[in-house]
Amino acid sequence: MTSNETPYLEQFPGEAKLVKAAFWSSFISLAIGALFGVIQVLHRTDVLRFIDSADYYTVLTIHGVLLVISFTIFFLVGLFTWAITTSLDRPLPSLRFSWGWYGMMVAGMLASAFSMFAGFIDSIDVSASVLFTFYAPLQAHPLYYIGLVTFVVGTWVAGFDWIRTWWGWKQDNPDERIPLPTFMVLTTMIMWYIATLGVAVALLAFILPWSLGLVDSINPTLTRTLFWFFGHPVVYFWLMPAYMMWYIMLPKVAGGKLFSDPLARVVFVLFLVLSVPTGIHHQYLDPGIAEGFKFIAMTNTMFLLLPSFLTAFTVVASMEHGARQRGGTGYLGWLKALPWRDPVFTGMALAGMMFAAAGFSGMINAGMNINYLVHNTFWVVGHFHLTVGTGVALTFMAVSYWFMPQLTGKRLWNRTVALVQVLLWFVGMTLMSNAMHRGGLLGIPRRTAEPQYDGFEFEAGVGSVAELDAQIVIGGILLGLSTALFLAVMIGTVLGPRDDSLPGNNYAETLSGPEDAPLVLDNLKLWTIIAIILVIFAYTLPLLSIISRGGLFGFETGGLPLSISLLGSTIAATFGELLPAAGSVTAPLETAATTLTGIVR
Amino acid sequence: MNIHTYEKLWLIGAMLLIVGFIATITYGSVGLGIAMIDDSEETIDPSDISDDDRFSDPRVEQVGDNEYEAYVVAQTFIFRPDPIEIPENSEVTFQVTSPDVIHSFSIVGTNVNTMVIPGEVSSMTAEFDEPGEYGVICNEYCGTGHHDMEGKIVVVPEEEFDMTELSVDAPDQVDLGEEVSITATVTNGQLEDHETTVTAEIGNETFEEDVTIAGDDSEELTFAVDADDLGEGDHDWSVDVDDESESGTVTVGDDADEDEEETDDEDAAEETDDDTEQTEENDDE
Repeated sequence: MTSNETPYLEQFPGEAKLVKAAFWSSFISLAIGALFGVIQVLHRTDVLRFIDSADYYTVLTIHGVLLVISFTIFFLVGLFTWAITTSLDRPLPSLRFSWGWYGMMVAGMLASAFSMFAGFIDSIDVSASVLFTFYAPLQAHPLYYIGLVTFVVGTWVAGFDWIRTWWGWKQDNPDERIPLPTFMVLTTMIMWYIATLGVAVALLAFILPWSLGLVDSINPTLTRTLFWFFGHPVVYFWLMPAYMMWYIMLPKVAGGKLFSDPLARVVFVLFLVLSVPTGIHHQYLDPGIAEGFKFIAMTNTMFLLLPSFLTAFTVVASMEHGARQRGGTGYLGWLKALPWRDPVFTGMALAGMMFAAAGFSGMINAGMNINYLVHNTFWVVGHFHLTVGTGVALTFMAVSYWFMPQLTGKRLWNRTVALVQVLLWFVGMTLMSNAMHRGGLLGIPRRTAEPQYDGFEFEAGVGSVAELDAQIVIGGILLGLSTALFLAVMIGTVLGPRDDSLPGNNYAETLSGPEDAPLVLDNLKLWTIIAIILVIFAYTLPLLSIISRGGLFGFETGGLPLSISLLGSTIAATFGELLPAAGSVTAPLETAATTLTGIVR
Repeated sequence: MNIHTYEKLWLIGAMLLIVGFIATITYGSVGLGIAMIDDSEETIDPSDISDDDRFSDPRVEQVGDNEYEAYVVAQTFIFRPDPIEIPENSEVTFQVTSPDVIHSFSIVGTNVNTMVIPGEVSSMTAEFDEPGEYGVICNEYCGTGHHDMEGKIVVVPEEEFDMTELSVDAPDQVDLGEEVSITATVTNGQLEDHETTVTAEIGNETFEEDVTIAGDDSEELTFAVDADDLGEGDHDWSVDVDDESESGTVTVGDDADEDEEETDDEDAAEETDDDTEQTEENDDE
């Protein structure tokens, strides 16, 4: 925007520390999450199994929660803090307060992580191998839920912090347009407040009291629906910081300007309005929800393609503008003029490209009746490893190569390694996600330790399951390596020498600026009201129907506690509730109970 | 607002694509008749599924011409019944429920795929045109043994398919001079008449009888041999119809030895095939 001479560290030293802390929290989560990802590809494909298959689900839970909650959201709070302070040119009102929400998030995540890791240790009875989605009646230790709630409340307070910073700025600058990065932060946070209501109600009103034993019944469809009320928009919460980077950072590193500020605002408004009333598209195959509600969710979801199409246009147009500024010519010849040796640029460009591919597999997922073919198969895993696993993750890693020097005043170590890192990610993910998509079409399920069955084999039309497994393993290992390189660059940079010639803390200027954007776009109250109305339309009837069918508190169930208990009596008591039919004559039920006891130890 | 011409064209193109997608899905629903799993089934208390006449005895039932219903229970970590046997060229409505946690019922390589949520019954209809075998898996994480949860669907050629059940009433002991009489009750679970052959063996005597059993009905057949013809001692008998089979032993001789001999027999029979089969038979009931 303004040409600023000084790096972020000199502009806002206190905030820089906070952003740095948030980024490191994010990177530590990435390190553990990625390591566990490598363990999973080796285990699933039966290349190397050194954990118990029962422990696979503990590994998977940690992989999921650390990467999609901790890695992404810690990075987001760092990035948004940078965006607010930079674009408003204004510090946060109170750093002590800001460290407070950061501390809350850390405490929450540590509690959840402790609970998840306890899944490995028999003697600590707080485990939570319920996966990221924690569908009841699977039951985790209350600590897991309490940790998640604390973490989310931390993000609420962070949002409040950014909003009040903007509010203060607005009092001082009543006639100015909201700067684009701040606009993006505000719309994303409003969306987040609406979205997290779902998971907050699910946890606080139903799951937590039930896991604490205060109530003994639950309606699994209700808690599942409330989870997806949050579970779909959360993907935009991961994505919006990446989109922000594509809008305000990518054009700059490409050597040009953002094509259109007004359309960027339109895109974020569309996400605010349409993100939440789509969650039921994760429940296309759920019984107990009428087809009409699913159809509405499908239509809303399809319209969500629009902001992504707009983004694709703007991002490519901005890149072309940059390339032409750098002397590029021709219909496609300009592509050669882009700074492909810059890991910040190349990482983001490749991330964007793979995200576009993910858009296409996403359309299949969104296609209600086509979804039968791919629901809960490996296809879905391939899909979100392109979206959050590349579109978001690779963008975050790429921009870190710009941010880390800004936050520490150090020189980036080392550009070549960084370039290799983003390329490795691209190659690894191409192999892995391609094989996952294809495997899904064969019916290979997601979320399973051993997708090898006794009674049948998956039949590949082209290639073979062994070939798919090979791609997954090679891809997974490359991704693991890439993560290690990324962390090496981050650590190398922090330990390295100071750099006195750092560029100033700037983001992209625009070809068509905010003065071209209609004022109504900045009317956040209006968009919030519209978003809430759409949510009410999309969710009131389904929720009422689910409650009237299954009851607010559902039926009695002890749940399937995935805490490992050494007390035989606990197990017996659990089965009394868990398998109420076990008392009846059916022999197989008892067999199942025996199996279960065997595994629970 | 300033919108570049190219961007306008792009926007229009994107909108057309979106409308096209929605139209495609709508065609799938309306034109091709791919129905979504929905709320048409009544809810069920997961702790009471043993009182439900569908799920207390998970099974396949014929409900119309080439139309079948399969009542399936998905639970940690099995499917019941397993395997599910159905004839080719049939239309099968699966009704699936869970007594414990969320599972799925997914027939590998097909688009038969549904979540199974405790408290709800998932109902979907599929056509099976060709004989073959399909794997059934649970694709929703349901606990530490999730990866072991699998089942099978066997689509049997039409002419080989039957829903015949057999139960046999035979004496344990018969005195000399009397008649050894075995009564076989053959039940046809299908709605159409079923023509089949029942074979029986008592000692060295074999019987073969063709029988036509009306739809959803049963026939009683009696096979008899004079005890004198068999002679004193133990004699094996067996009854076979379609894939069903029952067998046992009858003792011809005086009363006095009865108790003793029977005990001996049972002990001796412990390891024989006959006994195994009988055990299986008992389980089915």
